[in-house]
Formats: sequence, C-alpha cells, structure tokens
Amino acid sequence: MNAIGFAWRSLVRQPARAALGILGVAAVGALLFDMLLLSRGLIVSMQDLLDRGGWDVRVSAGELPGSGLRISDAVDTAEAISRLPSVQAALVMRAATARIDRASGQPLRASFQGATMRSADPAGSRLRAPWTILRGRDAEGADEVVVDEKIASESRLEPGSEITMRASCVGDLEALPATRLKVVGIAEFPFQTTNETTTGGTLDALKAACGGNVGTEADLILVTSTGDADETAAAIRTLLPEIRAATNTEVVGRLQQTGFTYFRQISSVLTTVTVSFAVLLITVLLTVSVNQRLGEIAALRALGFSRVRVVKDVLSESALIVGIGGLLSLPLGLLLASGLDRILKGMPGIPVALHFFVFEAQALAIHIALLMATAIIAALYPMRIVSTLPIAATLRDEVIG
Amino acid sequence: MKSVHSPQASVPSSPTTSLIVDAKNVSRVFSMPAGPVTAVRDVTLQINSGDHIAVRGPSGCGKSTLLHMLGCVEPQTSGTLLFDGQDISRLSDARRSLLRLKQIGFVFQRFFLLPMLTARENVELPMSEAGVSKQARQTRAAELLEYVGLAARADHRPSQLSGGEMQRVAIARALANGPRLLLADEPTGELDEATGAQIAALLDRVNQAGTALVIVTHDPALADRAERVLMMRDGQIESERVR
Repeated sequence: MNAIGFAWRSLVRQPARAALGILGVAAVGALLFDMLLLSRGLIVSMQDLLDRGGWDVRVSAGELPGSGLRISDAVDTAEAISRLPSVQAALVMRAATARIDRASGQPLRASFQGATMRSADPAGSRLRAPWTILRGRDAEGADEVVVDEKIASESRLEPGSEITMRASCVGDLEALPATRLKVVGIAEFPFQTTNETTTGGTLDALKAACGGNVGTEADLILVTSTGDADETAAAIRTLLPEIRAATNTEVVGRLQQTGFTYFRQISSVLTTVTVSFAVLLITVLLTVSVNQRLGEIAALRALGFSRVRVVKDVLSESALIVGIGGLLSLPLGLLLASGLDRILKGMPGIPVALHFFVFEAQALAIHIALLMATAIIAALYPMRIVSTLPIAATLRDEVIG
Repeated sequence: MKSVHSPQASVPSSPTTSLIVDAKNVSRVFSMPAGPVTAVRDVTLQINSGDHIAVRGPSGCGKSTLLHMLGCVEPQTSGTLLFDGQDISRLSDARRSLLRLKQIGFVFQRFFLLPMLTARENVELPMSEAGVSKQARQTRAAELLEYVGLAARADHRPSQLSGGEMQRVAIARALANGPRLLLADEPTGELDEATGAQIAALLDRVNQAGTALVIVTHDPALADRAERVLMMRDGQIESERVR
C-alpha cells in the first residue's frame, strides 16, 4: 500500500473528521479563490470595457477621463487629432443631463450622450459611438436618439416611438423648451451604472436638445489608432501638450494607482488571512490525528517503516484533504463570487458591465499553487512529530497509558 | 490451526549465520530531570538462530528496554551491539529501519494493528514496505493467516476480531518478511489464560520453524516454555536458567 492509499485509509477511518477538514478547506479555499479573482477582476474587467468598441486612446482635459474637466474647442481638436497619420478616427463625446416627459407620473431623469466622429481615414467611417445597438439602428440625424432598456421599458418605447426631452448642457437650473426626438434604437451603454438611465445621439441632437447652449467643449475624445496605441497617444501629446492622451492600458494603470488599489490591498490581506486559516485548520486536524495514532506509528517504525515513509503518509493525508477540499472550493468560489459581484455592483457609480470578480487562468494557477503550499506548510509540524518520534519510549508510554 | 511449512521459507532473507545478536556490556541510561536513570546495565547476551529466550523480572527492571535495544529501536548508551556482525550504533536510521523490516519481527502487548485495514492488509503491510510484489504479498499473507489459523477472518478488520485473534494477526504480520529474530513484549499480557496458551503455542511453533524468539513476560507459564530464561533485576541479568 503506497503512501496515498495509506493516507486515504487513514482519512476514511474517521469520516467525520475527514469531512470536517475537507469542508473547512473547501470554504476557506472558496474565499481564497474569490480573493484571487478580486485582486485582478476590476482591472481585467475595466480593460475589457475600455477596449470594447475599438477605441484605444482616450483624450481628456484631466488626469483621468470623467474628472469633470472639459476639452475646449473639442471638435477642432478632434479634427486635428484625426489628421495624425497614426489615427483612424476621433470621436467627440459630450454628456448632458436630461428629463424625459412621461404620459403618466414624474419625468424620467437621464443622461444624454452626444457623439460626433472626425476621420481622415476611410476605415474610420466604420467606427460607431461607444454604445451597442440592441434593437433598431444607431441615431444619425439631429432629431434622433437611442435609449437604454430601462427607459424603453419604463416609458414603453420601441424604435419608431417619440419622446419629449428637456436637456441641460450647463446646469440643472436652466429652463429650456421641450424638444421632440425620435427613438430609432435601443442601446446598451458600457459605462452606465445600475441606477442610471441613458440616451445617446449625435452632437447635433445634443445641441438641439440643449437649445443650442452647448459651447465648444467636450468631456472626452475617443481615438482609434491605426495599430500602435502608445505611438498615437505620444503623437497626440506632442501635438496638443495642454490635454491628456492615454492608452486604455495607461488609463487602467492610473485607476490601479488610485481607486482599484484598495481592492488589491483588501484582497491581499484577505488572501493572507484565508491561507493562514487553512494552514491552521489542517495543522490542527493532522496533529490531532497523528497524536491519536502515535502508538501505531511507533509500531510501524519498529516493524521497519522508514522515517521518510511515515512522513510521506502524513504529507499525503494533508495533500488529500487539501486536494479534495480545493477541488470543491472551485465551484463554491465561483458561486460565491457571483453573489458577491452582485452585491458590490449595487454600490453607487459602478458601471453595470464592470465586474469585480473575473475568472482568469492565472488566478486558478495561483490558487492551486497556494493550496499546494498550504498542504506542505500545514503538514510540517505533524511531519516533525512523526519523524522525531522516539519509537521505544512511545511504545512504552502506550503500554503504560 | 493448521501445521504448515515454515512461514519464513517463502520470503528470502540474508545469508544465515548461527549468531544473530552479540551484545557486549550494553547499557542504557535515560536522562531524567531528577538525574540519570540506568535502565539496562552491562548486559552481555548472545542470540543464535533458533534460540527461544524468555526475559523475566519485576516491573521497571529493564526487560522492555533490553528488548527494544535488541530490536534496534533503542540505542545503547555504552557497550557494543552487533546484529549479524554489523555494529548497530554505526548504522543510519534508514539502515536500521531496513534491518528491522527484513530481519526482525515485533509482537506487542497491545497488538497495534491498523484498525482501518483488514487482517490480510495488516499482514501485507511490512511486505509492501519491503517492495514485495502484490501477488507475492497476497500469497504470503494468505499462507501466514492460514498458519495462524485465521484464513477465514482475512477480510475482517481488527474491530471484528477477538484479542487472541488480533494477536495472531500481529504474529502473522511480524513474520511477513521472514525475520530471523522475533521479539515479543508481553504477547499474552492483554489475553485470558486460555487464549494466552494458544498464543504461546503459536509462538513455540514459530520458534520450532527456525526463528529465534525473545519474549519479555511476567507470565511464568509462558517463560517456562523457553530454553533459556533470563531473570533481570535493576537493569542487570541476575541469573540465566537453561532448560
């Protein structure tokens, strides 16, 4: 009987203890797996969100897009950027607050995203605004908009419906006349948060909705490079030193240094705590198990079992507990991650499409490596007990005891 | 119980010499908080193939310590202990383990069978450690269980066996690798008189088949079956009676 077979028999000898250990490892392992998914989840998810739509450079007035600062002479700036050889297209984005009248009840508050494209490259004309059309088509005219699913369902709108909107491009206190706009599509907006409602259209539609009171400013210019985003961002910075151009990777890097760093720190601390718990749990279980069997182990040593063999038996028992518990921890961890993701996404200001827990092969590999290390570290003390067990004294004590 | 061929015959061992153990002035001193305690003092003893030796004496006189020294699980503090001509004190732990595995069998008062294994698996265990093939192990375990009269209980776990049956399995396990020396520490200590007599008879048969046997016991009836009875007191062999 090899060490693994022997360890398996030792485990099933006390099924309650074995089940307790395995379930303990499964629970702690699930938490550990989730912490690993969390440590990079936001970064991976944000990178994915930014990369959607094919816009790989973001130009803003502040350090990060969405800082509230606006780019002046935005359309001319986009025009200048679009003429750079490494640029396919530049898209000017401007947001406004809006109210959509409803036949029954209170008007619906929404944000209105206006976008206009500048491209000197024929390939750039294929690019679209950074929202995804679910039904109907994208807005093209100054009297057309797309709305999100929430607005569509709450106001019972479908492509072809008309809405009355009052938009404000400078502040909530503006009193503006209502504008009739035609809904031509239902769209999904990638950075829309849970409680937000969003409409989108051309910059001309936004101007019309705001009564022409828009000015020349924009919140953001999205740029698609011809291939090398770093080179394009550098070219824009050289061309327009007063504004900030960053690749998607650089934006994620900046987010990592600011808001995301908390999640990484929390995840690192909780990973350390969960691994420590797992080590302690298994060490205690194995130590109790070994102490209950000292007489048997001493007898095996007297019968000729080598020190290495009895150490292997303990290590195999640890590996079995951690291995089975670790396997169970994967589905349990994914289930837990899905629940935790839903809870965390309920926080205000979190885009619906952003995920805190994202599965990556790298996280799985680290999970397995940490569990293997746990099995070894947890077995160190009980292995020491059996390897230094005084055979004769233990046999004597067992008889006296 | 059937009388079968020698249980040692089917597992090869190292070349036989008549002298197995040669102990010269061996002592064992334990360091205790209250000062050193001498458990075995200047014992000189030779064990030859086929010897049947009983060690008697009052509790704490050093019988079990001497047995453990002979079985290479307790190092001597002084003196020389040769097993098959090899100085035990010069062997590494791994070499001593191998020596015990191949040459020495142990029978304990409390049996120390592994409760999660069947009788057959308990007997197979030392052979498995010695690298004996699965088929050879199974054949040998079946032979040994037949030899100790437990062929019908091969698939029973220790918890399903009586004390006498457990001790018989333990004897079969001790004989698994064909040892030249069998050491038994109070083998009938946990058994009633009738069962103890059966175990004593079994040990006699093992000895008659050629295995040297050293039994530590308080039981005069068991000791009287031996050819040599060593009486110990205060760690020393006080007298030796040869039958």
